[in-house]
Amino acid sequence: MITIENLTKYYGNNRAVNNISFTINDNEILGFLGPNGAGKSTTMNMIAGFLPMTAGKVTIFGNDVSKEPVKAKKNLGYLPEIPPVYPDMRVREYLSFCAGLKRIPATKKSKEISRVMELLKITDVKDKLIKNLSKGYKQRVGFAQALLGNPKFLILDEPTVGLDPKQVAEVRSIIKELKKDHSVIFSSHILSEVSAVCDRVVIINKGDIKAIDTIENLEKQTGGSITLHIRIKGNRTAAADIIQNTEGVTEITKINAEGDNSYEFIAQLEGDGDAIKNNIMKELLNNNIQISDIFTDKPDLESVFVKLINSKTSGGMKELFDEYREDMIKAQTEEEENE
Amino acid sequence: MISIYKKDLQSFFFTPFAYIVTALFLFMFTFVFNGSLGNLDQATHYFSFADIFYSVIIMFIFLIPILTMRTFADERKFGTEVLLMTSPINVVQIIVGKYLANITVFLFMLVCSLFFPIYASFKGEVVMSQLICAYLGFFLWGAMYIAIGQLVSSFTENSILAAILGEIVMFIFLFVDDFAMTEFIAQYPGLQSALYAFAAQPRFAYFSQGFIRLSDIVFFLSAIIVCLVWNYISIEKRRWNRG
Repeated sequence: MITIENLTKYYGNNRAVNNISFTINDNEILGFLGPNGAGKSTTMNMIAGFLPMTAGKVTIFGNDVSKEPVKAKKNLGYLPEIPPVYPDMRVREYLSFCAGLKRIPATKKSKEISRVMELLKITDVKDKLIKNLSKGYKQRVGFAQALLGNPKFLILDEPTVGLDPKQVAEVRSIIKELKKDHSVIFSSHILSEVSAVCDRVVIINKGDIKAIDTIENLEKQTGGSITLHIRIKGNRTAAADIIQNTEGVTEITKINAEGDNSYEFIAQLEGDGDAIKNNIMKELLNNNIQISDIFTDKPDLESVFVKLINSKTSGGMKELFDEYREDMIKAQTEEEENE
Repeated sequence: MISIYKKDLQSFFFTPFAYIVTALFLFMFTFVFNGSLGNLDQATHYFSFADIFYSVIIMFIFLIPILTMRTFADERKFGTEVLLMTSPINVVQIIVGKYLANITVFLFMLVCSLFFPIYASFKGEVVMSQLICAYLGFFLWGAMYIAIGQLVSSFTENSILAAILGEIVMFIFLFVDDFAMTEFIAQYPGLQSALYAFAAQPRFAYFSQGFIRLSDIVFFLSAIIVCLVWNYISIEKRRWNRG
């Protein structure tokens, strides 16, 4: 298990990460979501022990990153935002160097390198210079490096950036595979990716945690009201009655006449959307009303995300900090006046 | 540490880099060597390898920074510093590994330059004791310059800037004793002796005359250690200040 406690980072007076805490369980993929500049990379760099933290503690399988860095880093594979590759090295040569850095015994080295190259499908470029590779391949070489030695904990900072759609799907399935015996933290600003791969998500903005939860719970969080769209041909009043009287329908918000005896109904549902939809369909067909189209809009992660990001920064610390800065400015002006 | 040493050596020897630097070094050596041979025609009949080293070292301050400029600057530029820092090794191992790789290239240059004494020994007689002392002194001097160059390389991510800065620092170190001898500085004996303490040239002079003095060896070794420790501090500091 990896625990992150009260992690804080200041760059001078700028606060990049504010007092965040969460844990990553064994065999779990944790998504790390946030808009650009939210502090994702800073946090990941701190977890990996590259950036020192202003305050807080990171423990990787019982080893404190700042107190026992070498021990902690033995269990760690890190793919930073920019893949850390040497342009003048060949792929195999580079991986061999990384294997040495990770202290993989010489006897297992070549087997291990072949394994990761197979996994990321870079075996066919193994003798190419890295500077001649495309961005997608570079990204995969960087990913291969992180997997060398099969570390128990993986930090992946936007691993699918720069890949084509087929490669994205491949990398996602690799990440899913990894779940069997790894803990993974995985950052992204692409929501569909996170919902496809992760068990839980941490959403951060401007250095503050906005939410830590499973994706299902987050989707429920937005208020739960489901919108039903239904397009029928037949008697308008009869259809309206049926829809209105079905259990679970709160109200019909709109009826659009589309000519030729066709109407579109928009209704709000509460509860199990699919069951309600089926009930309505059954009733309408029993009453000889034709249905040409029926579907529901679920509140997706996108809207959850936007809602959470726009929510006000949790008071406390920020106000304290603003107060502190105001005091500083006041003190400075007073000093100048005294002079 | 060994993997970093190996990787850096590869980056020197699997590319034309080490060979070009060595060729340039030998080219300079040849120039000075030929010039010295010219002296034999004159009444003095004076020729010594130590003197050749003297002249070569002035050109050396242009070569060593080229050798060391990439050491840390490039790691930073390519973002591979992250890889090193998040691997289960500590910063001391990184610095020592890289230093040893640089030293190895320097040794390679020195070994190539052995051609001249060997050639000379066919045609005449070489005073071995003096030659060995001169080589030892030259090696220590170069090792100190490499430590300085490596330190300067950790200050910036622009390797050209690292080379130029390194040249300036080495230039100052080379001529600090001449500066200490000027009339202006002579007015302040305290300052003069302080400046003189930093001068490497007079210490090399002892080696070139065939003396191995403990104090000179300690001077070079302590300068190397100071630079490497500073190197460590500079890398750690940069991690803290990064933003």
